[in-house]
Order: sequence, then C-alpha cells, then structure tokens
Amino acid sequence: MDYTKQIQEIASKLFAENKIDYFVGCKQNGFDDNQVPFLITDPQDIPKLVFNDKSVFNLTNYLKADHTRRKRVGLVVKGCDSRSLNLLLTESQLKRENVYAIGICCEGVVNEKGEKAQNCIECVMPDAVVFDELLGTPKGRKDYIANVDLKELTEKPLVERADYFSKVFENCIRCNACRHSCPLCYCAKCCIDQETSTLYNGSNTTSSAMHALMTWSLHLAGRCVDCRNCEKACPSHLPLHLLHKQNEKVIFENFQQHLAGMEKDDRGAFYKYSLTDPDDFIL
Amino acid sequence: MARVGVFTCFCGANIADFIDVPQVVEATKKIKGVKVSAEYKYMCSDPGQQMIRDAIIQNRLTSVVVAACSPRMHEKTFRKALSDAGLNPYMLEVANIREHSSWVHQKDKKAATEKASDLIRMAVAKSIANEQLHEISVPVTKRALVIGGGIAGIQAALDIADARIPVTLIERSPSIGGRMAQLDETFPTLDCSQCILTPKMVDVASHPYIELIPYSEVIELDGYVGNYKAKIRKKASYVNFSTCTGCGACTQKCPVKVSNEFNMGIDKRKAIYTPFPQAVPNKPVIDAEHCTMLLKGKCGICAKVCEKGSIDFKMVDEVIEREVGAVVVATGYDLWDPKPYEEYGVGRYKDIITSLEFERMVSASGPTNGLPLRPSDGKVPKNVVFIKCIGSRDEAKGIEYCSKICCMYTAKHAILLHHKVHDSHAYIFYMDIRAAGKGYEEFVKRAQVETAATYLRGRVSKIYKKGDKLIVRGEDAQLGQVVEVVADLVVLATAVIPYKENPPLARLLGISYDKYGYMSEAHPKLRPVETAKAGIFLAGCTQAPKDIPDTVAQASACAAKVCGLFSGDTMKKDPMISTINTENCTGCQNCVTVCPYQAIVTEEIPLGHGSKEMRIVAKINEGVCQGCGSCVAICRSMSINLAGFTDPQIINEIVSI
Repeated sequence: MDYTKQIQEIASKLFAENKIDYFVGCKQNGFDDNQVPFLITDPQDIPKLVFNDKSVFNLTNYLKADHTRRKRVGLVVKGCDSRSLNLLLTESQLKRENVYAIGICCEGVVNEKGEKAQNCIECVMPDAVVFDELLGTPKGRKDYIANVDLKELTEKPLVERADYFSKVFENCIRCNACRHSCPLCYCAKCCIDQETSTLYNGSNTTSSAMHALMTWSLHLAGRCVDCRNCEKACPSHLPLHLLHKQNEKVIFENFQQHLAGMEKDDRGAFYKYSLTDPDDFIL
Repeated sequence: MARVGVFTCFCGANIADFIDVPQVVEATKKIKGVKVSAEYKYMCSDPGQQMIRDAIIQNRLTSVVVAACSPRMHEKTFRKALSDAGLNPYMLEVANIREHSSWVHQKDKKAATEKASDLIRMAVAKSIANEQLHEISVPVTKRALVIGGGIAGIQAALDIADARIPVTLIERSPSIGGRMAQLDETFPTLDCSQCILTPKMVDVASHPYIELIPYSEVIELDGYVGNYKAKIRKKASYVNFSTCTGCGACTQKCPVKVSNEFNMGIDKRKAIYTPFPQAVPNKPVIDAEHCTMLLKGKCGICAKVCEKGSIDFKMVDEVIEREVGAVVVATGYDLWDPKPYEEYGVGRYKDIITSLEFERMVSASGPTNGLPLRPSDGKVPKNVVFIKCIGSRDEAKGIEYCSKICCMYTAKHAILLHHKVHDSHAYIFYMDIRAAGKGYEEFVKRAQVETAATYLRGRVSKIYKKGDKLIVRGEDAQLGQVVEVVADLVVLATAVIPYKENPPLARLLGISYDKYGYMSEAHPKLRPVETAKAGIFLAGCTQAPKDIPDTVAQASACAAKVCGLFSGDTMKKDPMISTINTENCTGCQNCVTVCPYQAIVTEEIPLGHGSKEMRIVAKINEGVCQGCGSCVAICRSMSINLAGFTDPQIINEIVSI
C-alpha cells in the first residue's frame, strides 16, 4: 500500500485551487523508517508527504485543535479514521464543508514489529466511509470478529483478571497522552479535571488511574473506532484496547450490532432517545 | 456549619412495627451535623409539622430530613412546613423508610432498622450539600386545544369554555359527534344516544368561547406547558362554509355513490355529503377521492345547483396557527378487524357482522330504519347469536386486554333486538360477564330475564353454512358439552383498539404511548388524566377502553386540570431542572437527542470575549425541562447540572454509606 504520489498530487492541487488552509498528512521522522504526523501550511512542504503501511496515525485527531477546527483542512483518512471523522461531524465539532477528506481503501498498517497490526486483522471497515475522493479499490464491510486478546482474557477467572488489570494499571503515570491522542476526546475540559467535582482526583495511584481510565473508556463506549492512537501514544504501553474492545463487544451484541461511526448522523448506542422504546418501567 | 434536624415518623404502625424507631433516632443523633433528632407518630399531621417548625426556629436549623413515607406522598407538605418556618423549602430531604424499608423488609426488623439508619444518614449527607432554590414563573397562554370531537372532546371543550377559557376544538371528520353519534341507545338506561348527544353538539357550535374547526388535524406542536404553538391543517372541503346554508341540494343531485363509513358501509353516500342528518356543522364536504370533478374535471353538478355559489373546486388545504396553553387529547377508538377468525368464516359469510354494524341497523336513523336485516337476503333474523370477546382477551389472535364495554353493549343489543323483533331470540356466547358499574348488573339481569336471552358460557369453535342458515358450534362450559345453534345472523363483539393514528400523533405531541397504541397517563392511579408532558391531558378511549360515563367523567377531569393550570397569569414551576455550563459545553448535542421532553435546544455564543466567531452550545428551555436528569448522565464534559441533584449532593450520599 503506497499512496504517496497520489496524495502529494491532490494536496498540491488543493493548495493551488485555494480549497484548503492546512493539510494534515504523515512524513518520515528523520531517523528511522517510522513516520510522524505532519501539518502543512506551505505548499513547499508537500514533497515531504508520505503515505504507506507505516502511516499508522488517525489524523482526525488533529482536527479538534482550536486552530484547525475552524479552518479548511485537507487530510487523509483510512477506514477507521473516517469513522471517527463521521462522529466528529455528527457531534457538531466540525463543519463538513471545512474538511476535504482523501479516503483510502486501506490494506492495513503495520505494528512496531513490522507485522500487520492486530486491529487491522480484525478491522470491519477498511474503506473510508466519508470522503471527498477515494483512492484504491473498495473491499467492502467485513464480519465482526471478537478481539483475540480479549477472548484470552475473558476465559480467565475473575480474580486473575482483576490481578491482571491492577498490575497493568500500576504502570499508568497519569500523563493523559491517551486522552490527547484520541480524536473523540475533544472536551474543552475533561470531566477528570473538573475542580468542582469531588468524583475524580488526579493522584498517581493505581485506583485513581483505573477510575479515570474506566470513565474514559465508558465515554468512548459506542464511539471508539479502534484506531489505537491511544496505545501508540501511551509511554507505559498499557493494553488500552482491552477496555474499548470489551465495550464494543457488549454494544455489538446488545444494541442491534451497532458499530461506531459507520453511518452519518449516528450518535452511538448510548445517545438516543426514541419514543418507540418501550417505557413500561417508567412511572 | 450545617445544622440538620432529623424527624422520624412512626406512620402509625406502618413504620414502627417493622423498624425500631427509638433506636434509629438514637443512631441519628451521632451523625455529624445533626442538631435535632426527634420522633412522632404521624409527622405529616399538624402537631408533627408544628414540631418541625418549632425545631427550625429554636435550633436555627439549616436543613431538615424527614424520615417517613415516599416523597411522592408528602414532600410538598413538608416543604411548606419549612417555608412556614422561614427556611428555604428546598433544604428538605425525605428519607423514604416506609416503601424502601419497613414495607419491604417486614420479616427482618434488625436489618430493616439498619437500612432505615443508612437511608437517614444518606439523606443527612445530601441535605448538607443542598442549595437554596426558588420556584420558576412561566407565563401562560389561556387557550386550550382539544383534539377530537367525540363525546370526550365535546365534554372537555364545553366544561373548559364554561369557565370562560377560549377553546379550539378540532375534529378530523366533517362533523363532531364521534362514535357516540353512531350508537342507537345507551346502556344501562337505554336513552337514545343522539337525543342526549346532539344538544351538546349544538352547544359546542354556538358557544362563544369555543372555536370549532371541523375537517382538520394537528400537524405540529411546539413549545411547552402554558406556551404551546399548534399548527393545524384545515383540509380542503371544497365548500365555502361561510356562505353555505346546508340546504342539501348538492348532496341530492350528486351522481357519485360511495360506501358510507358512518353507517359502517351498509348503505351508500354521495361524493358531496354530510355524514349524518344531525351533523354539526351541518355543511357538506366533497370527498376528493371520489368526486369526478376533482378526479377527471367532469361533472360539477353540485356547483350548478348551489344557489349561494358555495362550491369552490380550487380550494386547497390551509395551515393555521393557534397559541394554546394546554392540550386535551381525545382521539377515541377504532374497532379490531375480526379477519383472523377464519374458522368463523369472517369475510366469507355475509351474515356475520360486527356489533357496530348491528348498532347502525337498529338505530332509528340508520340505513335500515331501525330494523336488523340479514345482509345476504334482507330478511328479518329470528335467531341471532352474539359472540363476545372477539379479539379481546385473546393473546393468540387479538389483544390481551379486556375491551370493557362489550359485555354491556351485547346485553343492550339483546334487549334492542327483542324490542325491534318481538319473536326473535338472542344467544350470547361469553367468557365472563363483566358488569361492574352503577346499574350495570341489573341491566344484564334485564337482558337475561326480560328478554330471555340465552347466555352460554364458552367459546365458539366454528361457524358453517347450512342452507341459508349459519350453524354456530361452540362449547357450553357449564354443561360441559358441545352445542350447536342455528342462527340467522351472527354478531361479533369486536375488541376496542386505539385510534390508528395514535402513535404518529403521540410522537408529534411528544407524549408516550403503550404497546397497543393507547396514550400513556403520567401515573396509572394518581395521575390518570395527565401525560408525562406537562400541559397535555387525556380524555376517553385515547387512554384506554371506556364507556360513556367514564369518558365524560375523564373529560370533565381534564377540564378541571386545564382550569387549574390557567388559574393564574403565570405558572409556578419546580426549580429542580437542568442548567448548562456554557463555558464547558462542547456543543456535541447528545443531550438534545436524549432529552425525552425536547427541552434542550442549541444557541450560538461568541467564541471568546468580544469575538465575532460563534460556537454552538446547548440551552435548556426552563418551561419544558422536567428534571429527569437524562442529559446530566449523558454529558461527558459534566457541563450540565441538575438543581437538587448536584454532584456534591450525590457524592455526599454515596460516601456516607
């Protein structure tokens, strides 16, 4: 998978036609063959743009900053990225006309070992669902498969699972990189940081970390698109996907096979009120 | 520094028998912040309230906890006691130790006592974080909208208008009157339905405070209690009502004949028609689906014969707006289609009819001039079989509930049959006879004794044709044997079902409905007239199957509620509603979608101080918000606060146990 050339062409065209103010893509980091996200304001930087199976980032994360969300931005979206873009649009964080999305029919990106990443193996929608132009050949939606790590973990008894999580979350340093790297964590002030609330505290203990991360995962329940930006950002290498995948599984099984961001104007399983919901239990 | 007073109630024996109240009172004294802990036999009584008032003044209490029954019962009573003693009424917390403890843990006094102490401790902790709240005033538009012109709508409109409150009554058909206008005589006194209904219909038309808009429907309702804005579509009648005299020349000359729905399709009406002779308003309308002038552009006879020139083929639907403060929903009922009863030959045998068809036939003004006739050959039937519970109480084919009125009207039909055809005989197959009501049981007795109707307890398994007779095969459960009745006519007492357009109407009004399609009341026992949406009330069969006396009573109850609502220029509203912290709001609008009352809208505010760029944030409509808290739970950025249930209050409660 290498779309570098096409993307460079489209980006220069967009700048030439004055359709965008910024372009968000990826470039080589300069010391190994890994990449970093790259925000272009000057068309001269376009030759630095690359896009291949090492372009692992969900670039929609860079649309939520104050200086980008009101500007016209062009960017590249893979299947999962486009789903989070869909959610950002639905949740009124962006205006559709301000975004020029180059959709990719993704063949999967690699992990740090150079193998195909686990979330790409389990991916349900490799093609972009929202785009202005689409590169590659669409492969269509695939069947939902349960996460391998989660399966392994849920087979263990409850005590072992609790032990596992308390051991893992011990390593959390409360740096909040997971939150900052998540495209859907756009609140001006996170609930965890509210001074007026006595619910959360910022102390660096295992229980505080667990409390904060569980809250975070519940706020992403029915919204997480499994892009794993959070895991890539985490300096302690926490298996954060376990929390999200568990929520995704429960919602998929109980809410009419709901998957986040697949359709326009779909706010997710928890954010609906319908008069056709049976309300026999409400007095 | 918090100074809390705790007052524990015995509730006679209700609480004291299952909870050790003195022990609870002693335990309460040790809770931090509690200055007074007292007990009394009936806290809600005047001496009990006096005790609270005195304690507030003597001990300079900052908040009060009453440990008694459910706050639904007496929260208002105790709030008033607080405000009488000069304390903000919202500094009260009620610990429900009756429904939540003594009633449900009657077998374990020790555990019940402990739980009561826990509940009180939580309420004390919450009350310490209580904030002073003040009632909200909302302006009121004093005009009511009544949807549906049946007996329920008519009664509600008349009662409201008699209190000198303007009413807009809308009816989807060309005339008011509804189902009651179709009936012949009414149980249990056998007065003529038309004779008691038509004077009321005329009253509606002539009442100075009632605006009658027939042939119309609601298409939109915006706003909130006291301040609704309704959009009403007046369907094109193609007749100018202001000049039409109702002479009837047009209906006589119209050449198009269509099935008459008022007479259940037994006879024909014209394409320009008044539904029945006593219609109010007594003006004809053109049925656009059948009029050849409107369909093909040929004919126009009605326009030629009309001396006043009232026919206007170019008329179009008109949308008008009315500002109203309250809405009464009285859409009425439909009848269940008995098609699934294939073994009875429904649809195959012409001489199987529904009870409303029978009703139209025995009506003096009906299509057969008051004589029941067999649809197949027009002969007068001698043996008539009535089968009850067609669709009702039938989980397999119909609906689970009892339609309530069929037992009574079937008894009425037996009597009416006897009155019209003296040598006839009625056989009635029934499951149970449900005749609870004033004079009802006596009425059924009258059918059984005076008219000698044969009541057979059991279900009919099959109906088949033999010659020109119908053989009704069923079970007589009391004899335990199969019986066969040779019948000339079979009448099916089909179930009452909600008006078919109820669900879309409910969605439009923003009220809820049950699985059958009946509109849901706010509380099945204590608020049977109100809906969960303030200012919208229910009358008649729109809520559940009802007979005429119950319908009229409920309609009058609606009128009383509307008059109560309009008793002042402004309405007081509970201040326990949500507020938005716009600084923190991300504008994701999830709260807008989860709000069951459509109380949240969006507004644009400047991005920063003096900035020209705008951003979207949520905004609560104070008049509509009911304080359910759905938005608070859904808000990820914790930008919504529910007064009376703030985070510190809830956390205090949780931490205290």
